[in-house]
Amino acid sequence: MTDEALLKLKTLHVGAPSPEARKLALNAAMVAFEDAQSKRPRAAATGVMDAPKRWFSNRWNLGAALAGLGTVTAAVVLLPLGTQYATMNSRAPSVDKPLATTVATSTAPVSTNAAGGTVSLQVEEGGKTALKQPVMEKPMPPKDAVPVAANAPATESDEARLAVTSDALAAMPAAPTAKIAGQVAMRSGVANMEAPTVAPMASTSLGYAAMEPSGDSFQKFDENRVKITKDEPVSTFSIDVDTASYSYVRGLIEAGSLPEPDAVRLEEMINYFPYDYPAPATADTPFKATMQVFPTPWNKKTQLLEIGIKGYVQPPSERKPEALTFLIDTSGSMDEPNKLPLLKRSFSLLVDNLQPSDTVSIVTYAGSAGLVLKPTKASDKAAILSALDNLEAGGSTAGAEGIELAYQVAAQNKVADGVNRVILATDGDFNVGIDTPDELKTFIKSKRDEGISLSVLGFGRGNLDDALMQALAQNGNGNASYIDNLHEAQKVLVEEAGSTFITIAKDVKVQVEFNPAQVSEYRLIGYETRALNREDFNNDAVDAGEIGEGHTVTALYEITPAGSGADLNDPLRYGSSAQATGVSDELGFLKLRYKAPDGDVSKLITAPITKDLVTDDVAKVGNDQRFAAAVAAFGQKLKGSLYGTGMSWQGIIDLANGAKGADPDGYRAEFVQLVKLTSALSPDHGGVAVPSDAPPPPSVEPPSID
Amino acid sequence: MDGILAFAPQTGERPAPNAAAQQSAALVNRAKAGDRAAFAELIETHYDFIYRCACKWTGKKSDAEDIAQEVCIKLATAIQQFDGRSAFTSWLYRVTLNMVRDMQRARGRRDRNVDAFSLVHPEDDPGDQEDSTAAKEIWMAVSALPDKQREAIMLVYGEDMSHAEAGVIMGCKEATVSWHVHEAKKTLRGLL
Repeated sequence: MTDEALLKLKTLHVGAPSPEARKLALNAAMVAFEDAQSKRPRAAATGVMDAPKRWFSNRWNLGAALAGLGTVTAAVVLLPLGTQYATMNSRAPSVDKPLATTVATSTAPVSTNAAGGTVSLQVEEGGKTALKQPVMEKPMPPKDAVPVAANAPATESDEARLAVTSDALAAMPAAPTAKIAGQVAMRSGVANMEAPTVAPMASTSLGYAAMEPSGDSFQKFDENRVKITKDEPVSTFSIDVDTASYSYVRGLIEAGSLPEPDAVRLEEMINYFPYDYPAPATADTPFKATMQVFPTPWNKKTQLLEIGIKGYVQPPSERKPEALTFLIDTSGSMDEPNKLPLLKRSFSLLVDNLQPSDTVSIVTYAGSAGLVLKPTKASDKAAILSALDNLEAGGSTAGAEGIELAYQVAAQNKVADGVNRVILATDGDFNVGIDTPDELKTFIKSKRDEGISLSVLGFGRGNLDDALMQALAQNGNGNASYIDNLHEAQKVLVEEAGSTFITIAKDVKVQVEFNPAQVSEYRLIGYETRALNREDFNNDAVDAGEIGEGHTVTALYEITPAGSGADLNDPLRYGSSAQATGVSDELGFLKLRYKAPDGDVSKLITAPITKDLVTDDVAKVGNDQRFAAAVAAFGQKLKGSLYGTGMSWQGIIDLANGAKGADPDGYRAEFVQLVKLTSALSPDHGGVAVPSDAPPPPSVEPPSID
Repeated sequence: MDGILAFAPQTGERPAPNAAAQQSAALVNRAKAGDRAAFAELIETHYDFIYRCACKWTGKKSDAEDIAQEVCIKLATAIQQFDGRSAFTSWLYRVTLNMVRDMQRARGRRDRNVDAFSLVHPEDDPGDQEDSTAAKEIWMAVSALPDKQREAIMLVYGEDMSHAEAGVIMGCKEATVSWHVHEAKKTLRGLL
């Protein structure tokens, strides 16, 4: 009788797996395979291996799983542009970017960094070109064979390493060119991300060789180039109030590493700091724009046009109720001090500062999924804080619960005339229950149209999907921040909670038309990832950034006054070289479009850029302007910009120091310290860089099946 | 290389047993040597198998997907430990079962919506629908058994294996399997 019943088990029919899951699994397996292969002794390289950009699907579902493997970039041979071989850990920046070559061997110990941070062997090359040198087409090849033996703690691996790379590198020029003076610092053995990079940084972006593949991924972009006003008089972009780039860069530098260029977004660095622009008097016009033109600190012949926008500040009595839904990543990878524990404390700070009429709900995903706290009034702080406290990191993926649940909760508890926002906090695992990023963006967009916006908070390193964070925040009419420490949490979630959560204008676009008679060339500093087409400005269907309460937004243009002789472009030989004769002596015209938070039709604000806004003396310009310029200079130098790297670190420090002003929160002083740290990590003029003192990491056994 | 038949995917198409076994063996060896394409093919070929196995054991599609993915990742390193003593698919089955066990231990075997089993459509065969509901109930009961008994029952009855074949996967002697089956039936007798 039982047998008969049991035989029914055979009849249970299982359907086919979903093609998406299959693909993801295959991708994940290949990554793990390549990973594993790199750790094994190899008689010879098996030739060219291409690395499709699979970082995204890796992160999509893996998170904690890969953290267990150790996201090791050990097996990578990254070669500069122009050579064919590029194998890389898919989390490293893309192949077409010249990077430090990392050479690994099986015998080199590999540390499984519980953070899931990537670790890599590095051949770092000090490339130092004289500052005046033109941009190089091809970055310097690394000096590999000789220095390998130099200060390698793992000796027997050298032969293996050389064997592995010998054919791969055979095609490469043997030594760097004579022009390059610099140190080649070789650090074999695996260094974890926290160890300081050793090579001095080249001053051009193509020669930038000092960074480590971090495991964090950023949207790639090319720096804005100088434009000729006659050819392209109009510049259009969306404002950006995110500050994630600055805090991320700060975190990295304080840990002793230099960021990759794509991580340095100049507009976010500049916008991190509060500026004292005049605010609008009433909420009728939600923001006010002021402009100034003054000499460029790094270029005597050009000028900086600074556009400063300040959002309306609500008086406290007008504060509307907020309904906030925290959507928290509780996957295994969050189990690090700078992730879930920091997140808990950050949210506690926020909760402590809410008003009794505010509501908080908590949904978790990727670990213990589901509704952790029903919508609770902020008057019952104890319940909220206790729910936060009980959060644990663990588990890998949770399937369908997650973002849909969070928005459901948010929708059910929507406050009519207030702030309705989902706050997504993660270290990079976006497996919130919607499978593809495009679907996720669409979902978020539809919710924001229903009145629920999204803020994204990033924590930790090694898993960060900054590009996706930015994309989601943009689609959600919200903002993206990176929380590296409690101070930052204080800033984003308490001091600037108004700007973070209360939107006063949305889809804010900037358009500037320059007058070729006055300005022959211009260059927008930053905002590369927010560029808009000229026609997008008047097209209300095109999404743009939001301004929060009290936000300040700064945009800088470096402009070449007509006739100054500072033009980078020669005049045309065959075209008409006559100067455009405009009737006006305005430098240009500023246009801003915005929509009310609930509105769909944009409104326009305009202002001419007149000559009375110009000052010839940097000293006469206010602290805010000079400080913004210092931050711009720092960012440009840090990312190896094609322009404006002429200033020394000390020059930037002096400029910033002189522009600190009252600095009540100490952000500007902190910035100065940051520049000092950076100058130690990457000194000007080939000074001695900070030596690496990373201890050799422990070795790891591959997992065995029981 | 016995036992391949029992693990053929339920698509209905079964390659000749020896050919499949040989193909697997060759691929495995190449993959162990570091041949990326071979490894990729191995995963492609066996993904469905792993997924279905995980489905049958967890009863939940999303869990099965997670487990299948984890197994694929693990294979990258674990493959080095496959020594060819058993059929590749037997070994793979074991790896998958271990992963199921790990996941269920980590998450707690909560009773969740069992969605992995497709029901028979009433149009196709009205009689069958009762059968499949009953099957599901039996599955739930079996799932509640202690690990070894559950494995023995699922392999012998669910996968139609001999006790010897099941022993290969469970890593124990044929007689041990029989004993587990016997014990399991004692427990189930009360429920069925």
